Amino acid sequence: MAEPDDIAIGIDLGTSYSCVSIIENGQTTVIPNEWGERTHASVVSFLEDGTVLVGNSAKRNIITNADNTVYSAKRLIGRFYFSDEVKKAQAVMPYKIIEGENNSVRIQIRDNVYSLPEISALVLKEMKSIVENYLGHEVKKAVVTVPAYFNDNQRQATKDAGRIAGLDVLRILNEPTAGALAYGFGKDITQKIAVYDLGGGTFDISILEIGKDVFEVLSTAGDTYLGGDDFDDRIMTWLAEGFLKQNGIDLRLNKYCLQMLKEASERAKIDVGRDGSAKIRVEGICQDPSGKVMDLNATLTEAEFNRMVMDLVQRTFKVCDEALQSAKMTTQDLDAVILVGGPTRLPIIRTSVKHYFGKDVMAGIDPDEVVAMGAAIQANSLQDAKSNHYLLDVTPLTLRVGTVGGYTDKIIDKNTPIPIERSKSYTTNRDGQEKVKIRVYQGESSKAAECEMLGEFEFSGFRIGYRGEVRIEVTFEIDTNGIVNVTAADVETGQKTSCTIRLSSGLTEDMIKVAKEKNARATLARGEAAA
Amino acid sequence: MDEAFEIEAQALAQVLDELDYFQVLKIGQNASPPEIKSAYYRASRAYHPDRFSTLPAGELKDNIGRIYKRINEAYVCLRDDTKRTKYLADVLGPERQKKLRFVEASEQELKKEKEQEVGATPQGRKFYMAGLADMAAQRFAAAERNFKMALTYEPNNPNFKAKRDEAGKLIKNDMSIR
Repeated sequence: MAEPDDIAIGIDLGTSYSCVSIIENGQTTVIPNEWGERTHASVVSFLEDGTVLVGNSAKRNIITNADNTVYSAKRLIGRFYFSDEVKKAQAVMPYKIIEGENNSVRIQIRDNVYSLPEISALVLKEMKSIVENYLGHEVKKAVVTVPAYFNDNQRQATKDAGRIAGLDVLRILNEPTAGALAYGFGKDITQKIAVYDLGGGTFDISILEIGKDVFEVLSTAGDTYLGGDDFDDRIMTWLAEGFLKQNGIDLRLNKYCLQMLKEASERAKIDVGRDGSAKIRVEGICQDPSGKVMDLNATLTEAEFNRMVMDLVQRTFKVCDEALQSAKMTTQDLDAVILVGGPTRLPIIRTSVKHYFGKDVMAGIDPDEVVAMGAAIQANSLQDAKSNHYLLDVTPLTLRVGTVGGYTDKIIDKNTPIPIERSKSYTTNRDGQEKVKIRVYQGESSKAAECEMLGEFEFSGFRIGYRGEVRIEVTFEIDTNGIVNVTAADVETGQKTSCTIRLSSGLTEDMIKVAKEKNARATLARGEAAA
Repeated sequence: MDEAFEIEAQALAQVLDELDYFQVLKIGQNASPPEIKSAYYRASRAYHPDRFSTLPAGELKDNIGRIYKRINEAYVCLRDDTKRTKYLADVLGPERQKKLRFVEASEQELKKEKEQEVGATPQGRKFYMAGLADMAAQRFAAAERNFKMALTYEPNNPNFKAKRDEAGKLIKNDMSIR
């Protein structure tokens, strides 16, 4: 057992909800906040008095204090300003998304500008303080989970968020792997399993082989643009179009109406999943041109809901096909299927998953808490030299280097076990060349434009010679966090330079330092219990 | 951590660049896939960096990291039948020292290889395919004609040449009657 000082917590930093867990007296325990809530909305609301409200009570402010309340920040973290996801968010989010330096994304609240890691750091600060309240002492170390399909930019940004929150991030852990760990840990089973992880904003599928003390990820695949939020959007569109037909008013044109609509849609999704139908009623959603206050009333049946989202559900199975193929398996080779993430409570998901995999899903696993629990197990074992299980995880995306003409060359294949490294020799392109520039990408296309650029890496200080004479060996490493590091060396002189690939739009060390101080100064407001 | 392990790890790190993947995983060159997997698990149990996360940064930690990366590299190569066959030929060959670390042909090279196999021009491919069909049907003279035609489009394709010669030989040995 770790010393109290050394206690490391497990944090599931979700798109919609977050959860925190520790190992206490050998038991994995989810820590509730002072209101007894075990999951916390990943919503950050900046109050008038300068304090910051995080969690379920902040969620109510999405409507009442819309401009100053940030939600679904995970959809934007580690993305470029010009990406589709950012454009989509700008259309629906009531808070102000602006462009920062080097194509980065920033959020403006009143006169303050925040980077995405700073926003996520406030959620992490709340998770940290929930545990500190519970234990009565400070905690400094954590394992933070990310979707398995997150690229290097998104992983780096999440790690930065942890550092800004004053946490020593022991590991960036993949969510489905954490789920599998919570499921199989200490059970002494030998199984091949699939973890179907549908979260608020992302979908992951991982295929694992579990042995006595080993958790080997055979393959992983995902879609970082698909989650429970998209199910809400379908209901929202249906409600808005119904209202438009009936009253001639498009609720989506006003961001405040849109938020009420969104909230009603999320509730309807949960109700329809639990009760088979949902009564939707929003009083005073808008005013008609004559100033008359109007209500929204509708009833959503399960059959109707299923029709709306069927294509989204089907999309997840395309991704499952891909993962099984990479693992050289069929559904028949699997012993068990585990569901992770709130939306997997929906009957449409449960029946479709059962049908696709041809087996019942594992019962007795809480899809909202299992990821945080897995993170806590890993956090604990990283602190314990005598721990005797180990995780063999993989990199989800192919690592590539940009070549001439807008093409890329494969360096490390997707689904390769990590940590791993690969070296490649390059040479200069003209006489007397002093610098070489290497562009690094992740993705499955040989065209650079269809991959995600991770960064540009400049190397100088090698011997200067004629074109093609100097040989530079570049080593690409993916570490156990799935984060990419690059080093280069002059083959002849052995001179080395190294740098972790930093997203050009990412935070510099100085920025992280400033953000960390700002985060430490921020006071978390204590809300009230959510009804 | 026990001292014996530390000595073993440091010694292994010293000679790492002289070992082939079979030696890294401590298995024979004809190990079966389950043997490869269990060797990989055994090696992971000993060297996975998670086991050493509390170890202070330094030479030993770096060496363990380097060893484990090589273990992963070995596993990726040996678990794949195609790669493994090529790798085994590489390390048994005269250039063993240069080929201890498996380098996959780049995508362009693979494409080129495949093109050479079936032809890089549409006409060359057409005659080559027709020739293969003739071979399968034991019409060797027709096959030779088709391979020769294919070679007029791609005179340097080694695969076309080999097939033409093969067909030529078979014609000489053909004693069937009609």
